[in-house]
Amino acid sequence: MRKSVKIISLAVFIVINICIYISLNLSDIKAIDINKALTFKNTESEVLVANFMTDEKQADEIYTGKVIEITGTVKEVSFLNNRNTLILQGKDKNSGVICDMNANQIDAIHKISIGDKITVKGICKGFLKDVVMLNCIIITNN
Amino acid sequence: MNKLLPFFFLILFFSDYDTKPDQYIARLGQVSFFSYTSVENIEAKNNQVLSILDLSKNEIGISMLMRGFVFKKSLMHEHFNESYIESDIYPKATFSGKIIDFDATTKEPQTRMIIGDLTIHGITEKAEIKTTIELIDNHYVLTGEFSVSIKNFDIKVPPILSSNIAKNISIKFRFEYNRYEE
Repeated sequence: MRKSVKIISLAVFIVINICIYISLNLSDIKAIDINKALTFKNTESEVLVANFMTDEKQADEIYTGKVIEITGTVKEVSFLNNRNTLILQGKDKNSGVICDMNANQIDAIHKISIGDKITVKGICKGFLKDVVMLNCIIITNN
Repeated sequence: MNKLLPFFFLILFFSDYDTKPDQYIARLGQVSFFSYTSVENIEAKNNQVLSILDLSKNEIGISMLMRGFVFKKSLMHEHFNESYIESDIYPKATFSGKIIDFDATTKEPQTRMIIGDLTIHGITEKAEIKTTIELIDNHYVLTGEFSVSIKNFDIKVPPILSSNIAKNISIKFRFEYNRYEE
């Protein structure tokens, strides 16, 4: 009897661990394909930053966690820490929109110059001194 | 009330920085964390961490978005934000502290301690962090590594996943500062 309980316990333990392994390592169905994702909102970078500076809580409710398209003037192109980052002009000199670019955008980034007006699509993550967007792609480069 | 005091100091700290000299800013600071267990290793990076360094007072402030951490698997990102860190309720982690015995006139790398308040998941704990400060191409660069106990920050892991998440999380950071101009 005791032996059968041990075997059943061991089996349950193994099944649970297999389930955990599958859930953590194999199922990745919620990854967002930014190209195909529907855009929740389009706006200008100055307007987006102004919204967060005016009322961060309300702006968080509107934008954070959403796929948005932002049009603005490039004020910095950075490759710091092996990341490809564009910073769009914000409401003032000390604010902007940090766009951490998708890895497939490497060729497009090298065609960008400071002062270009571009539209990027990405996921808004919130606001520090700048609005932070991840997984960005360039939609238009005017 | 005691738990709120660090927030007030942090607000004062940041608001003070818009007008004073000897201030440096890192908008693209990097913070990584690592959880090592025999079952699995979990790693995540945040490359948009904000830090302001005030060399007139040898003070440092750091703020980061918890949703800004990138994991290899999106499901890990979801668990981290929704179950452990509760990013909707506690969207940011912050640190404010003082660099002890830092000499801004020395161009050689310096290893110093930073003592301050670390706030994660709405809990503030005293922290002592060892850092190396270098002046590279006129940019101050701060790097270091430390560990935090998830128990100290009231981060609850379901018993079924306790073997997957380390009790002490290793954290690495790198900040490269530019002069903060008005």
